[in-house]
Amino acid sequence: MAERITFDSSLYSPEAVEATATAYADYAKIAINSTDGATEAVIEDGGEYEMAELVNAFSNHALHETIVRRRQSALEAS
Amino acid sequence: MAAKKGAEQSRLGFTLGSDQVSFELDESVYPLEAIYGACYLFLDRCYVYLTRPKAESVSVRLTSQESADTEALDSLAGEFANELLAQALRAKLSQSTARIREYYTAAALRAATSAPSVDDLLAELESEELLEDPLEIMVPWEEKQGDGSESKDG
Repeated sequence: MAERITFDSSLYSPEAVEATATAYADYAKIAINSTDGATEAVIEDGGEYEMAELVNAFSNHALHETIVRRRQSALEAS
Repeated sequence: MAAKKGAEQSRLGFTLGSDQVSFELDESVYPLEAIYGACYLFLDRCYVYLTRPKAESVSVRLTSQESADTEALDSLAGEFANELLAQALRAKLSQSTARIREYYTAAALRAATSAPSVDDLLAELESEELLEDPLEIMVPWEEKQGDGSESKDG
């Protein structure tokens, strides 16, 4: 069963979500769809991993990536 | 900070779900950078998911990594709220002291660029005539004052 996670673009950087999908490619089949104002990740076929845990871990990773990238770009801008 | 109406609320007023707690934040009170700062510190303790229910508002959902009761979830959200307040205050202080920090950094950099090098200091030391003693500091007291017994007797 596939799980959809919607990441609001004003809170999650689309690049960060894409980077997270790349990082999780070994654990599940992940498709990324960018819509107006949001990035949607569709996670399926988690294999041995529990889907709920995969979804939560994916969301955490996307948030971490977003924060790190924002801080990095703020540092480069100053 | 607000909980959803109609949903089960914790002692501190957060919305409770299965192993998760959520609350809404007003971005005019808690800037996004403060929210990110608090989230960053909680990423290793729980699962954090952000949504935007309406403009200028951020909904935070904290899901415990293991099974948690109401008390544990309330405590988790309470700690998050405290951290959020600390981050918001830190951001505000950082903003209000930005100019003075820039001034001190610029002054320190200016001083560093105009400071003499080690070679300059050594050259300066060598050029000084260390043996000059206009105040006769190196002259023994007896030589300056003559024999001590004469001066005592007058």
